[in-house]
Amino acid sequence: MGVMRIGHVNLRVLDMDAALGHYMNVMGMKETHRDAAGNVYLKCWDEWDKYSLMLTASDRAGMNHIAYKVEKDADLDVFKKRIEDYGTAVEIVPAGTLFACGRALKFNLPSGHEFYLYAEKEFVGKDVGVTNPAPWPTDKKGIAAHWLDHALLMCELNPEKGINKVQESTDFMMKVFDFHLAEQVVVGPNQDIKAATWLFRTSTPHDLAFVGGPVMGLHHIAFFLDEWNDVLKAADIMAMNNVKVDVTPQRHGITRGYTIYFFDPSGNRNETFAGLGYLAQPDMPTVTWTEDQLWRGIFYHTGEEAGAFTSVYT
Amino acid sequence: MKDEPMSRAENIRFEVKILDTGEKFSCSASDHLLRAMLALGRKGIPSGCHGGGCGVCKVKVTRGTFTSLVMSRAHVSEEEERDGIVLACRVMPTSDLEVEVVGKLKKAITRPKAFGLV
Repeated sequence: MGVMRIGHVNLRVLDMDAALGHYMNVMGMKETHRDAAGNVYLKCWDEWDKYSLMLTASDRAGMNHIAYKVEKDADLDVFKKRIEDYGTAVEIVPAGTLFACGRALKFNLPSGHEFYLYAEKEFVGKDVGVTNPAPWPTDKKGIAAHWLDHALLMCELNPEKGINKVQESTDFMMKVFDFHLAEQVVVGPNQDIKAATWLFRTSTPHDLAFVGGPVMGLHHIAFFLDEWNDVLKAADIMAMNNVKVDVTPQRHGITRGYTIYFFDPSGNRNETFAGLGYLAQPDMPTVTWTEDQLWRGIFYHTGEEAGAFTSVYT
Repeated sequence: MKDEPMSRAENIRFEVKILDTGEKFSCSASDHLLRAMLALGRKGIPSGCHGGGCGVCKVKVTRGTFTSLVMSRAHVSEEEERDGIVLACRVMPTSDLEVEVVGKLKKAITRPKAFGLV
């Protein structure tokens, strides 16, 4: 019973060919389907479900929806009731509404982001198979990210007006879906305003994060790499392909991950995130970062704001 | 084909002046304004995603001609585009240019943060 992991993200792109060049040749994803409307579905080599990224051509960048996978179909009935009891509108959409997925719950987070939960998605398998598999596929391209790891959503935060969608969305994920709070940033004169949170259901420090900003949006989607040397090589590949890098290889204080931030050709921020961070468990105490150390938390070495980290997102 | 060879077209450079700061830089016909500005170590236009998606490098071209790539309608409306308002990361000059940084976003990214992140 419960939410297992991030399932997929539907991104809007300004130029589909440029987007595919990025996600296939640089990130190393493979196209698994293209529908009549022109949406393209992609997966990473180490994923087994049909897709983790759906690209939709649009006149603006950003995210249309995000979806997480639950363990069993019956979980959807339990969660539907819990969402309703929390006072949030929810509908069940039939199988196939999300391509190659079973029935799904559709609702909006308190932040406004469109969110789906589903239990079933067409199985494709890892590129290396399951019988005496090689550790990685020999036909891998570019960075060859393992899987879509997490997303960071920007939520409206305006303490002067009493608006804190980071707090509301965090409460929602924890109370309704049993997400656990790994880390948080607290700000304000009394250090009691949640300005950012990192939440998990897997055994890594975050499967979903919320950060406060002037308006809601997508901060980034992150792809998993094994370790630090992969991060260095990923940055090399980005430079070879003229990818706009936002923040060069770094360690996060928060989650302890090894990171690069960069942009897809439509301006949607991507991250390559490497390392476990640490073993996250439901009984783990929450780590808190204070306002004076929040940039140490985000970029551990410099302890300073870098790139366009909080000012630019789609 | 009588087109100019690409290598020669790429070598044509134009001067871009940022009216807000008086800063000037040169930009090749094949490069976008934002990358040329940053590559030369100049400052003046806010730099973000370089993909036409985030809208932070919004400028108004007040003089000169250019070609442009697709940019997000969330940040530049058709009406604005007709008035010469564009994203610097999507604009390649075809003459010398004068540009003004469009105020709202410039303020948004330079405003001191009251609560750490906002």
